[in-house]
Amino acid sequence: MSTLEIAQFKHISAIHNRDFNGLPISSTSTAVNLTGSWKFFRPKMAEKGSPCQSACPLRIPIAGYLRQLAEQNPAAALETLREINPLPAVTGRVCPHFCEAACNRLEFDEAVKIGDLERWLGDFGLDRPHRFAPAPETDLKVAVVGAGPAGLAAAVFLARRGVAVEIFERGQEAGGLLASAIPAYRLPRDILRNELDNLLSSYPAITLHCDRNIDPGELTALAKEFAAIILATGLPESIIPAAWQDNPRVIGALKLLATINRGMEIEGDRFTVVGGGNAALDAARSLLRRGKKVEIVYRRTLAEMPAYEEEKEQARAEGITIHQETVVGGLENRGENLQLTLCRAQKENGGIVAGEVLRREDCDILVVAIGQQAADGYLQAKLPETILRAGDFAHGAATVAEALASGRKAAAQVWSRLNDCPVPSETGEPLGIADFTRVHPDYFHPRPAVRPNLLPARERRAGFAEIRTGLSPAETCREAERCFSCGTCTTCGICWFFCPEVAIAIAPDAGSDNGKVLFDYDHCKGCGQCAAICPRGVIEMEEDL
Amino acid sequence: MQQEAILLGSEAVAHGVRLCRPEVISAYPITPQTHIIETLSEMVDDGELTSRFIKVESEMSAIAAVLGAVSAGSRSFTASSSQGLAMMHELLHWYAGARLPLVLVNANRALGAPWNIWSDQSDSFSQRDTGWLQIYCETSQEALDTIIIAYRASELLMLPIMVMIDGFILSHTMERLLVPDQEMVDDFLPPYQAPYKLDPDKPLTFGAAAQPDLFYELKKTMSATMLEAGPLLKECERSFAAIFDRAYEPVIHCPEGDEKADTALICCGATTGTAREAVKRLRQENIAIDLFKMRLLRPFPQTELIAALEGKKRIIILNRALSYGVGGTLSQELRAALYNLDRRPVINDVIISLGGREVFPETIMDIVKRRKELSPTASNWL
Repeated sequence: MSTLEIAQFKHISAIHNRDFNGLPISSTSTAVNLTGSWKFFRPKMAEKGSPCQSACPLRIPIAGYLRQLAEQNPAAALETLREINPLPAVTGRVCPHFCEAACNRLEFDEAVKIGDLERWLGDFGLDRPHRFAPAPETDLKVAVVGAGPAGLAAAVFLARRGVAVEIFERGQEAGGLLASAIPAYRLPRDILRNELDNLLSSYPAITLHCDRNIDPGELTALAKEFAAIILATGLPESIIPAAWQDNPRVIGALKLLATINRGMEIEGDRFTVVGGGNAALDAARSLLRRGKKVEIVYRRTLAEMPAYEEEKEQARAEGITIHQETVVGGLENRGENLQLTLCRAQKENGGIVAGEVLRREDCDILVVAIGQQAADGYLQAKLPETILRAGDFAHGAATVAEALASGRKAAAQVWSRLNDCPVPSETGEPLGIADFTRVHPDYFHPRPAVRPNLLPARERRAGFAEIRTGLSPAETCREAERCFSCGTCTTCGICWFFCPEVAIAIAPDAGSDNGKVLFDYDHCKGCGQCAAICPRGVIEMEEDL
Repeated sequence: MQQEAILLGSEAVAHGVRLCRPEVISAYPITPQTHIIETLSEMVDDGELTSRFIKVESEMSAIAAVLGAVSAGSRSFTASSSQGLAMMHELLHWYAGARLPLVLVNANRALGAPWNIWSDQSDSFSQRDTGWLQIYCETSQEALDTIIIAYRASELLMLPIMVMIDGFILSHTMERLLVPDQEMVDDFLPPYQAPYKLDPDKPLTFGAAAQPDLFYELKKTMSATMLEAGPLLKECERSFAAIFDRAYEPVIHCPEGDEKADTALICCGATTGTAREAVKRLRQENIAIDLFKMRLLRPFPQTELIAALEGKKRIIILNRALSYGVGGTLSQELRAALYNLDRRPVINDVIISLGGREVFPETIMDIVKRRKELSPTASNWL
């Protein structure tokens, strides 16, 4: 058999001995051909805030720390989180998590369980001291009145700037309402104490004086000793209608909760709680756990109750009766008993008054949970303008996250005032929000959220054990992976893959902002594919001037 | 050794491709070509073929995938038909201009609208200016053999070759044929060695912008290569015949025809088989007709055609592709080629079939009998 030899075809002039001179191939580089000069638009990295971050009173960079959690780097995630939120083990449990209600994933399958992840990370950090960039020490001294979340946050953010802070707390321990009012089944005592101890020992610049009440009258003297004073005295007293104030069988919810939280005995067996907020539910559920008979009277409907939905649901599951649209029209002390006159709630002149009498009922104690107010003395006190307020005392009753944010803001304002500089910000300027229209769900897979176990109602009633179980490390990692990282570049490389000009380089270690994706503007023709496909809405096109 | 087998035309093509050991196959299914790549994908799945089979979402991607694969130095294969081939159009130009070898099998089928899946050569005829060699096959055996020849020629020329089979008439019809042994084919077809290829260690620029002067020169070279592709292809066909004992030429004279006849029929593709029968029967009726088959359309075998048709007074061309406003596409090609003859024959342009309209021996016999009534200028429709 003969085979063809290439040499036989030498007569083909176009192919010079397999030299192929006629092929459109060049050994020169195209680098000289700067096709990027053709473009009218250019891509840019524009990292954005996520909806969860913008919904968070503290503006925690949630996408950032969830990413670190997903990458199995909890230590880094903790740093990121605590830089903004000094009490994550607390907020992970008691915050209503506005973030979850804003999560883009809600429009895809279900929200990321940010609260449970924050809690896990907070617990992870209980025995890890806060780390913060050391600031040059100053000779500034600031007084903070009240060691609740707002006061503690103010102290922490001042201490980080090298300011010496003295906190004056009228109670026996730090924590404010966290310690006195939030029941252990929502926030276990040891978790709270560990987190507070860890915080205080991490910042030697903070000195805490407990059992030290500051009367408004003392403030003038204090102002001479300290460069600034931040008042974070909170709203520690329950509001009680004047007619009931001297009745020994009437007690404010906050006082009752403080007694229970201190482990003290409660007299009486049958309790009626008036109110519909979290304090009312906390009081009723705590009493139930102490083996008391308890029911709630609320003047509006269940749906209108301002308490968190989860709390309402759990209270009902535990068997607490809630009388809706009912008011206590009158009460009468009868020997050992208190007789309540329960009336139908009736709307009148924009308010609610007692209507027809429904029934009369006996109870031992009436617990009032219809609102909070400032401590005696601070109620009507006229305070010098140089004194800053923070927390509930400044903005009215709100969440722990709001109190922390308020404390942080007060610290920044004090710093600004003392240094005559602009108000500093830990969270930076918001860059716009990567809402659901900016993310590309095509790049993500539906996956159900983690379901933390809840202690069954029967077991819950038996004591103060924490209701919600924590996540395992594996669950934490899997749940954190569900985060879209809206508005944050994860160096996923989709833009690199789609770029038809090979004009994108990915540099995962290049830092947080515009360094992670590098555009070769000499060759980018501005087609915009990278911006169109960016799964997290980071890349944007701008006019190339 | 060559194994006797009864195979569908599409299977014969797949075996031809298998014997050439392509490293990459990429195609998108389209009737009547689908059987080809189905058979190949099964061969890959069974391990009979070690090619990388790239699934794609369109013919445009199929041709782009093999363009990349061949640029990187791999022998590759793709197949298509009709709308699919039309969808490749832009890259067919690019492919030839890039001077890369490839064998593409096209199962001839009509282009819509209206929808029609049957045999019609308009799809490949309308790609004749893309710089590809075009070979039309009459039988499945010819198709199998041509694929092997085409890889050899394509890699020597650094130009792509399109091999045509008639949709359904060949693709979906069984035929008794010989399948060569791998060893024989390996002797005939050495592995592809790319003179230049994509290689990050030796960076080169492929098909980058050429200034007008260089562009002109490159196209001149390509045109010269195309003109000399005819002799090279003939060399390959001769070598093939020496090994496999089956001979092919750019223009084939069919022995059923009468060489002395002054009228000749010219066909392209599987119609030739029907014409052979018609010519045989006409001879029984004492009507002498000669018969030729156009195997090669690009490069156009001008010399061979003039030599074959020298002295004929009438040429009847059976067209299965149409250039609207002119007439049968094959007729136009022949008219241009025969213009240089000293004594030009009468040329009858017959549109014998479009969209799979059946051609029977009687259809052709009737045309021949009415040959004096046929228009020498306008197209003749049935």
